[in-house]
Amino acid sequence: MNNFGVIEIASTTTKTTPGWAYVPDTGPTLPAVAQPSNRKRAARNQPALSLSDLSAREETRLRKELEALDRDNHRDVNIPIPPRPGGGSRAQNKHTPNVRKILQSQKTFANHLDDYIAMLALAESNPVAAAAMNAAQPKPSTPTASASKSASPAPSASAAGASKRSAAAAKRAAAKEKQEQEKKKARQTPKLEREPEAEPQQQQPPPHQQDDDVEMADTAATPVQPAAASSNQEQEPNPQTYPRESQILPPYAKPPPRPHPGDDDPLLVSAIPPFPSDDELRALMTAPPLSYLEARATWAEEESRYPVRVFCAVCGYWGRVKCMKCGTRVCALDCLETHREECLTRYGL
Amino acid sequence: MAGSRKSRAAGPPPPSVTLVLDNGADTIKAGFVTGDKADDRPRIIPNCLARDRHKKAYVGSELEKCRDFGEMAFRRPVEKGFIVNWEAQREIWDREFFDDKAPQRCDPSETRLILAEQPNALPALQTHCDQMVFEEFGFASYYRGIGPAFNAYQDIQAIFHTPRTPDTSTDIPAEILLLIDSGYSHTTVTPIVHGRPLHQAIRRVDVGGKLMTNYLTRLLSVRHFDMRNETYIANEMKEAVCYVSMDFNRDLEKTWKGTRGERREDYLSGGGIAKDYVLPDSHTIFHGVVREYDPGGASSRARRAAASTEDVLTLRNERFVVPELLFNPSDIGLRQPGLADLVMQSLSVLPIGLWPGLLANIVVVGGNVRLDNFIQRLQMELLKRVPDECVVRVARPEDPVISTWLGAANFARHEHVERLAVTKQEYEEFGAGWVARKFSAGLGVDS
Ligand SMILES: [Zn+2]
Ligand SMILES: [Zn+2]
Repeated sequence: MNNFGVIEIASTTTKTTPGWAYVPDTGPTLPAVAQPSNRKRAARNQPALSLSDLSAREETRLRKELEALDRDNHRDVNIPIPPRPGGGSRAQNKHTPNVRKILQSQKTFANHLDDYIAMLALAESNPVAAAAMNAAQPKPSTPTASASKSASPAPSASAAGASKRSAAAAKRAAAKEKQEQEKKKARQTPKLEREPEAEPQQQQPPPHQQDDDVEMADTAATPVQPAAASSNQEQEPNPQTYPRESQILPPYAKPPPRPHPGDDDPLLVSAIPPFPSDDELRALMTAPPLSYLEARATWAEEESRYPVRVFCAVCGYWGRVKCMKCGTRVCALDCLETHREECLTRYGL
Repeated sequence: MAGSRKSRAAGPPPPSVTLVLDNGADTIKAGFVTGDKADDRPRIIPNCLARDRHKKAYVGSELEKCRDFGEMAFRRPVEKGFIVNWEAQREIWDREFFDDKAPQRCDPSETRLILAEQPNALPALQTHCDQMVFEEFGFASYYRGIGPAFNAYQDIQAIFHTPRTPDTSTDIPAEILLLIDSGYSHTTVTPIVHGRPLHQAIRRVDVGGKLMTNYLTRLLSVRHFDMRNETYIANEMKEAVCYVSMDFNRDLEKTWKGTRGERREDYLSGGGIAKDYVLPDSHTIFHGVVREYDPGGASSRARRAAASTEDVLTLRNERFVVPELLFNPSDIGLRQPGLADLVMQSLSVLPIGLWPGLLANIVVVGGNVRLDNFIQRLQMELLKRVPDECVVRVARPEDPVISTWLGAANFARHEHVERLAVTKQEYEEFGAGWVARKFSAGLGVDS
């Protein structure tokens, strides 16, 4: 411990102020994974909290703080579209059904992400339903689109891979799957929740063929045969076939190799990185995009072992001591006293 | 269906005008490419509806007319980098591009749209975007591609000031490049070979300009006074005073007031770090002003403040702990790697043979990379993580905010655009699913 002299004062503080104590900084208290807050209310009235209560409370606080840092505004705001001076020029009243639904959607990004996660879960638990959903590709809702040409091929990849291209709510989709099976039998318009515009799939796609979530179009009622799908794909201009040549990158020349005393060291010879083959490169350059979740970086194993830096909640210096009441870190006495006022207001004695 | 290729070949020639949009969460970068000529630089349009304390509303570029940004509230159509609220986005686009009096008016039915999006979008949102582009706006031709990859369509070696002989040809798109884009919502790393993003290695950390501004706001609200409804003012402050520390521990020592009764020299003098910041008063000052720290302390500042009624904050570690989040997200409990580790995670899924080329050609774009020392810190941290013999070069374009737009404007004149763009007719024939797959498949491999 460094010599900034709070330790011996700490013992007196503990006596005079029940519920408070200096404790040595024992390193990070962040639990390894986020956990829901399920601490007992009674814990608030205890003079001191057990370690697990402390970490649960910290975890909840952390989550709330991160959520707050993610907001566009501190308060909830509702800013309606103001009237346009002089009016616009583009026709405003002839929306296609797709556009009308998109414009009316009040979904947030978090809602869309939840839909996507639910869809992935469905793909895992019920590949058939997911595949059926994937067969339902969004169609342009324009009166000019002809039926024969609007049939889009089902993604030929596995259900899991294909599912990445389509995002819909599994919870709704699961309910819908059942409805669609009924629909196949009855060939009638089912009374679907939230889908007043749903119509049975017919040879001539009606302009209102899409439901609230575009990716769940009713075309799922006519599952696309795999064989038909692949032949469709051959007939359409295929975006992936382009002339191939042998050399993708010229022989490696950049940066120019710098002479190094270790160049002749036999231990280092094997360290010269082999340049990837054209096949390797081609695979990398044509690989499909990752999903939003897959691209989000997470701690590697060795990083999760690094000590997490903790700071004084008041002044931002190292958080060397800890409030026994709530677990908040502060640097020293002055900041502890500042913190104490807030802590009392928040948690009581 | 078999006739589709013929009908495509016999179709009308591509539009001669292209609207190039980098539709960011904070600002839209917008400009035209007509034939061989592109606008020198895009117009930068606030991508928001805003409302001031007098309940006056502003849409997009109307915000330029606003003087008093106190208690300004915002509604943003773009969330997490992706267009989510089309009601708001359409209104902004209409006023900026399609209305009779729009400042950058064009007729979509005779225009191609090149739209930059963030990597790893949700498919449902991509579909919404494509449907709006064709069914609502009616663009004649359209390509939606990820912003980082457009940066490859620039003279990357010029950004690095690589010495060249006059006869050296410029590779467009660049042969190999690692692009870091740090914007309002997040920061991404994208390795790119010949203009093709290596999708499997794209990585994101959810630290961006918004998070940093909100963090600064929180620190000020704890230490000085409640700024939580002053996002705009806090953001200006962040841009004016924040910097990336080259030695975090040292700077933190210099800005600590010390234990009770201690009088630390660096704290009293400011240690070369403390700055005073004069807040806007909404009467005579509408934008904050940075001042040298006045070590005379509170008394002399109080005298001056009493004379001028100005609000002055002294900023100390707030200056560098805020950008520090880019390099240590765990400082606020966010369990994600910092930027240098993010780069290493991206490289780790690629053949080692590509590492030297990528590490020697790192380009950083986006608003956050303007922070002082950003490049130097990134380079320093990367050098600690790569083999000794590896060359690490990090460069920032002259204007990192418009770099993606400039690249996209070059792309609009490159032969690649004809391979990738789809027409309204194709959309109507093959559907939104086909369009999405074509965009996601990208260029494939040739040459
Ligand atoms: Zn402190
Ligand atoms: Zn406390």
